Amino acid sequence: MKRSSEAFWWALFSAGGVMAALFVPAFVIVTGFLLPSGDAAAAAERAAGFAGVVGRWPVRVVLFGVIALSFFHCGHRIRHTLMDLGLRRFSGPLKLPCYGGALAGTVWAAMLLWAL
Amino acid sequence: MPAEQTMTLEIFRYHPETDSEPRFQAYEVPYDEDWVVLDAINWIKDHVDGTLTHRWSCRMGVCGSCGMMVNGDPKLTCAAFLKDYYPRPVKVEPLVNFPVERDLVVSLDGFMEKLEAVKPYIIRDDVNDTSGGEYLQSPAELARYKQYSMCINCMLCYAACPVAGHEDEFLGPAALALGHRYNRDSRDRGRAERLDVMLAGEAIWGCTFVGECTAVCPKHVDPAGAIQQAKAVAAQEYFRRFAMPRGAKDAGA
Repeated sequence: MKRSSEAFWWALFSAGGVMAALFVPAFVIVTGFLLPSGDAAAAAERAAGFAGVVGRWPVRVVLFGVIALSFFHCGHRIRHTLMDLGLRRFSGPLKLPCYGGALAGTVWAAMLLWAL
Repeated sequence: MPAEQTMTLEIFRYHPETDSEPRFQAYEVPYDEDWVVLDAINWIKDHVDGTLTHRWSCRMGVCGSCGMMVNGDPKLTCAAFLKDYYPRPVKVEPLVNFPVERDLVVSLDGFMEKLEAVKPYIIRDDVNDTSGGEYLQSPAELARYKQYSMCINCMLCYAACPVAGHEDEFLGPAALALGHRYNRDSRDRGRAERLDVMLAGEAIWGCTFVGECTAVCPKHVDPAGAIQQAKAVAAQEYFRRFAMPRGAKDAGA
């Protein structure tokens, strides 16, 4: 029997889930609560310092991994949810919008991070 | 002594040779707080209605025969106590996601085919050769698969799984957990051929990790965990084969 290529997409989904679970809450806390807290001048100073850290290449690489894998996690989950909602026979064609969308998001993230 | 207490069992009835469709029949049974649902069904069979058909054997959670839907939940009826439902009526139905043969008895054919498909036995060329003595295992090697060997094939996990109900290709929780059990056995050499079956089509990938299989398992096998581990193995295999297209097929466990 031919083994399914689903292993590839599941691996990206799985890695994206780990990345999202580990990093996204930290991002929310840092960018949503810690950076903007206090008076405006202090917040702006912290934001500028944060932007400097984000611009470093190792940080850009990590951010790219988190963002890209999270996109594929999202695409895979949407594909399987649509299959569960009755589109199971379109499991093949659904790959194009779901993983294509994740790829587009990945390219976009790469361009933004490159231009920082 | 107080007057005898009773409670009501509403039981799914279907005799394909006479009934055009299933119906429910209510029975009053003596209430005894030591009784399980299976005791009540057996009492009905012995004292009220001998035509009621159900499967059971050990009465102690070992044989896996008496799985039914009790108030909508898949349960071993030998482990579902009446006192947990009294005084409300208890509705007993055959396990969902299986074809009904008669009353509370479902067909095992599809399940048995899936169980056989994963080759749930040790595969190795020298399986009959005992000249070297026993195949010894360390406690750590035993611990790698022991939990997954506790399955009693009661099929509660198939009744609990939403995917098993609508995806025929999906091998289902018990079969996949059992395949995983042999893949993790240090004595086994059949992992590659077992994975060929487990990783084809929707056989394992149908699972979307709902987790109800593990929630209902009376033996704490954790089929959902087994399936996720097997998926991780599959992903490793996929990338290993991609990196080493030749000669990677027979890598052992």
